[in-house]
Amino acid sequence: MNEERGKEELRSYEEINEKIRRGDAVVMTAEEFIELVEQSGLEKAAKEVDIVTTGTFGAMCSSGAFLNFGHSEPPIKMVRCWLNDVPVYKGLAAVDAYLGATAMSETKPFEYGGGHVIEDLVSGKEVELRAESYGTDCYPRRSLETTITLEDLNQAYLYNPRNAYQRYNAATNSSDRILYTYMGTLLPNYGNVTFSGSGQLSPLYKDLNLETIGFGTRIFLGGGVGYVVGEGTQHKPQDGFATIAVKGDLRGMSAEYLKGAVFHNYGTTLYVGIGIPIPIINMRVAATAALKDEDIPVNILDYSVPSRDRPIIKRSNYAELKSGKVVIGDREVPSSPLSSLKVARKIAETLKRWIESGEFFIQRPIELLPNYREFKPLKIKKREVTVGDIMMRLKDLVLARAEDDIKKVAKMIVEKNIDHVPIVNEEGVLIGIVTTWDLTRALAEDKKTLKEIMTRHVITAKESERVDEVAKRMAEHRISGLPVVDDVMRVKGLITSDDISRKLVGRRGL
Amino acid sequence: MKVKLRYPHVAASKPILAELILKTGLPINILEAKLTPMGGEMVIDVATQGPALKSALEYLRESGLEVTELRSLVEVDRGLCISCGACISPCPSRAISFDGSLDIEIDAKRCIGCGICVRACPRRAIRLI
Repeated sequence: MNEERGKEELRSYEEINEKIRRGDAVVMTAEEFIELVEQSGLEKAAKEVDIVTTGTFGAMCSSGAFLNFGHSEPPIKMVRCWLNDVPVYKGLAAVDAYLGATAMSETKPFEYGGGHVIEDLVSGKEVELRAESYGTDCYPRRSLETTITLEDLNQAYLYNPRNAYQRYNAATNSSDRILYTYMGTLLPNYGNVTFSGSGQLSPLYKDLNLETIGFGTRIFLGGGVGYVVGEGTQHKPQDGFATIAVKGDLRGMSAEYLKGAVFHNYGTTLYVGIGIPIPIINMRVAATAALKDEDIPVNILDYSVPSRDRPIIKRSNYAELKSGKVVIGDREVPSSPLSSLKVARKIAETLKRWIESGEFFIQRPIELLPNYREFKPLKIKKREVTVGDIMMRLKDLVLARAEDDIKKVAKMIVEKNIDHVPIVNEEGVLIGIVTTWDLTRALAEDKKTLKEIMTRHVITAKESERVDEVAKRMAEHRISGLPVVDDVMRVKGLITSDDISRKLVGRRGL
Repeated sequence: MKVKLRYPHVAASKPILAELILKTGLPINILEAKLTPMGGEMVIDVATQGPALKSALEYLRESGLEVTELRSLVEVDRGLCISCGACISPCPSRAISFDGSLDIEIDAKRCIGCGICVRACPRRAIRLI
């Protein structure tokens, strides 16, 4: 299919633009196109429709703006710079800067950030600019404070390295506490599911094989006109996770489609409105433009697992997620979106109107985006301290059996001067734990065997885990020691908060 | 009907609600209470309407409480709201949903005023009243 990709078999870009000029191009939103295909079949719909418009309006953290402030008198080489107390990246020329959506205000963190500054600028509001420098012979000024508006700037353009994921994994939480994530608030014990993306309106999913969306594609960006400027970061088209980088002039955009946002305990971001016209150039493009919510698979991941590889709890799709409830196990769990479907629809409608009224023409990509990209993890090459490095090994431990007499165990505890006794079965598999505190209480209450007093639900650690993860687990559960077990729960050692604080003294890196 | 009661210093030590329940037999649910002997506030749900509600509220006022009828426990700033839906599924009492035009709708009868939606809102558009 590779050589075929992008082939203009049904109509060419020139033919479509000529129809737009004449005012008789047939344009439909992706949802209208789906309906037409259901009524008249794919073949007939593909012949009839020239362009399908799409839309999405969601949180896109890899967004930001390049700004040029102009030169003050005397001029300054800005080394550090803030807009409304949000730090702006200054590793560029004297008065060029990059304002990132997730940079947070130094005075109002987790409340106001780069995304909000972009929204304020586009709304025409005055923004406070503060800058510092060391002063040079060519740029003598050392500091400045002033206010700016979008109009005052020489250039201000949105440049987002990663936007408009083709689709995105949904989130849930198996743990027993509320999680506040970039996927929103996740209630304990699979209490809810959140998802992102607009499903059957998703710009990149509607051109699943990236036959028409490429470098140079003209798009709706933040209420104005923008361009695709290449693949986005973490572009992974082979799995339906293609992304794009986009650019567009902030002047001409609207604050209705660029909204600063906060995810509680996570930070700030920017909601970006993107709409892409998909010219129906061949039958393959028509087929993917007609894909429905139920055709777009979404995995629901467990965000309580602190790993880049989160386990899949359920394979779902946008139809189920948009219905407001998802079945997990034998329970119905409420689901809700993070992206605004209402605004996504409005974007697809607006783009359709622009094209119909002859204001917006489509652009053939100068280059198609790659349809395969390796997705590389970041390897930690410096050795990190693991549980195995500092745990107490079996020879220094006291292990007991459930039937053991309490007094005997108490004696061993005194001899070895320890606080935790894992209880194992005949195969050495962990079945419980007792602490010196449990034993003291047992003696006071005249209990005889460990079985009567042991804790059966034991929090454990693995030898390969990083010490800081285990320290966090101890703090969360307010306990001072964890048995270290292998994959089949056989006890290999024990790690205590004492080990962590004593044995790591003098070590670097924690 | 949800009602906010403000207890002045003198009323805080009297069993006013218990007496109202005994007198009327009305089921009353206490949703929130911050009371000390110095006074305080309480939010209750009185499961009735019409004349029965009116006379119950009258009784509370006569007992020395300041009574405010709550039409809703939370308020959405429509100018800030982007209809994303991030507040919907975290709501433990299923009080939030999309209406027909995909705007956020909060059912005041279901809302318990827990404030989870306030933190869940990426636009900080929801506040407790």
